[in-house]
Amino acid sequence: MSRRIIILILLFTATLIASFTATIILNPATPSELKGLAKYYVLNTINETASPEAVTAIVWDYRGLDTIYETLVLYLAIVGGLAMFKMSEEALLKTRIGLTLLSKTSTKIVALLIASIAAAIVFHGHLSPGGGFPGGSAVAVASMIIIPVFAAGTLIEKGVSSTKLVAIRGAALTALGLVALLPVVKGLEIVTNQRFYPASILGLPISGSLSLYNLFESLAVASGFTAIALYLSIPEEAHKGGSGA
Amino acid sequence: MITSILLLIIAPLLSIFFVYMAVTEKDLLKAAAYSAGQSIAYSILLQAMSTPDIVMTYIAVSVGLYSALLVFVISKTERFER
Repeated sequence: MSRRIIILILLFTATLIASFTATIILNPATPSELKGLAKYYVLNTINETASPEAVTAIVWDYRGLDTIYETLVLYLAIVGGLAMFKMSEEALLKTRIGLTLLSKTSTKIVALLIASIAAAIVFHGHLSPGGGFPGGSAVAVASMIIIPVFAAGTLIEKGVSSTKLVAIRGAALTALGLVALLPVVKGLEIVTNQRFYPASILGLPISGSLSLYNLFESLAVASGFTAIALYLSIPEEAHKGGSGA
Repeated sequence: MITSILLLIIAPLLSIFFVYMAVTEKDLLKAAAYSAGQSIAYSILLQAMSTPDIVMTYIAVSVGLYSALLVFVISKTERFER
């Protein structure tokens, strides 16, 4: 134990000395004004994309095609991951006993809190920091604490199956693709935002397609990660018993 | 200003502490918890650099999803490293 402390103190000292030396030798000056590209985004985002959030505007509008391909890559990765688990739902139904009542009740409260924060991140993603991927992963965190506490078998009995989750994911990605492709019908280029989609509906600022992209991306991410967690929650014994019988 | 500079000094040291503890720990569940601690230190660092978009993604993925995945995977093997 004392060896650990000595090594930690050595590491701390080395880090501090290295960073102070680097600061003194390199002397990096703090930039006092924005550079060209940053200035362009800060000044023009609100007019060109109807969104005050430059990051979401860059991710889904200026560089929209990049993000759509990235979503596609994640989709293929999760499909590949699911293809490796060759699992019947009988094995999942064996895990029906969850944890105690105390942890079940506290998990309900915590999961509700996480889900509401996730909803705020998703539905406000085009106006404030946040967006589809962070919100979707927050929903996935909520489901990942629900699955071990309530046991996968109980969830499957209530109608949450991985087939349905993958179907939700596919539907959300199809909708995302349609949102990107619809402007082509009117002769505009793909992933067009402001020239095709309205900036607000009934007085609600939706920033054109940005809020739609956020919604569908969060659905896709949340259902994909939940499906993976559902498969991972099966204990090894149930797996072996299932294949042996 | 002074708080963000202090955070910029403290958070990396905290992350070094958590990384070292995670690497040397024999109990894998504790190591996963230390790894989550390292992620929290990084989130503080990113917030001190005022990048809230990155913080949101990073905290959900590295503290939530990654730790949960690690716990699921550890439950499939042994808890203690030999």
